[in-house]
Amino acid sequence: MNKISLKFSILITSVVLAATLAGVWLAEIYREHESRAMLLPDRVITLFPDPKPLTAFALTDHKNRVFDLASLKGKWSFLFFGFTHCPDVCPTTLAVLARARDNIAKNTVGAEDIQFVFISVDPNRDTASKLGQYVDYFDTTFLGVTGDNAQIANLAGQLGAAYQVAITPGIENYPVYHSTAVFLLDPRARYHAVFTPPHDAETISKRFKVVRELEAGNAT
Amino acid sequence: MRWRHPVFVCLILALTLDPAASEEAGVSVRDAWIRETPPGMTMMAGYMELRNNTSRPQVLVAASSSGFETVMIHRTIVKDGMAGMVHASQIELTPNASLIFAPGGYHLMLMNPKRTLRAGDPVVINLEFRGGLVLRVAFEVRK
Repeated sequence: MNKISLKFSILITSVVLAATLAGVWLAEIYREHESRAMLLPDRVITLFPDPKPLTAFALTDHKNRVFDLASLKGKWSFLFFGFTHCPDVCPTTLAVLARARDNIAKNTVGAEDIQFVFISVDPNRDTASKLGQYVDYFDTTFLGVTGDNAQIANLAGQLGAAYQVAITPGIENYPVYHSTAVFLLDPRARYHAVFTPPHDAETISKRFKVVRELEAGNAT
Repeated sequence: MRWRHPVFVCLILALTLDPAASEEAGVSVRDAWIRETPPGMTMMAGYMELRNNTSRPQVLVAASSSGFETVMIHRTIVKDGMAGMVHASQIELTPNASLIFAPGGYHLMLMNPKRTLRAGDPVVINLEFRGGLVLRVAFEVRK
């Protein structure tokens, strides 16, 4: 085995290990919420009535501003993990989220307290400026966020978002595998609900309206 | 190997003259489109509805276009909660049935466009089938 392929094997092994740990973590979250998590009959949203507060993480947005736990507070956040070299799933999902945002903005409550965040799991290729160009295209309010691998794994792990970056020396278009869920965090930075694909804008905006009303009811 | 060998010549002639291969309407394509991408992005995806109008299987074996450096047939698969793409070396179309290339499933992966493509632009992609049939399909770039 030569040096490069050895390095590559180590990388793949560690990524697979990380993904496995993420899986174990996810199973743990599901177990924790098992008695209370509600997969609504439409099978597109799972609600956690006892949402799990996130812990500290440190990432950077496409304007080179810090994106951390504080950035989630006071807003409902829709998070999606992907990468810009993704020709099918990511643009499809971001286009749906842009329409969902339009729908929500048309609502009486409006869109002042919501944010949509695209988190690239491929910081190797996705620079801040590239991410900016990418998210701007779908909606100028969208945030593109990335950071170092440990911090991406930190946030993804807290949400049970699986991903795998198969960096291959000399291969420009290396494959990236990533979760297809859209994670909903509440204004207290808690993991509140998750939307599972196939995503559609109308369902997301309608379900979000209900979730927000339920939460407003809980708060009073 | 001698490619001008009479056996090969006969074989090539036989393939060229195969009725399925010359039957242009044997496979038809509808709703062919390419998703417009954000500026500067090098990976695009093409979608369409393929219909096999014949009573025998037709096999899509390759796709190419002068508009892109590389065109590949891909399929998005979701495994263990993760989406990824797999290369499909060929796709068999069932007789008298349709196969849809759609977001989240089969798509043509279009790499490194030769020029920036914007909504409304036409792009020709050649679909090659086993037996020699080549369909020139006009795709429309859509937002």
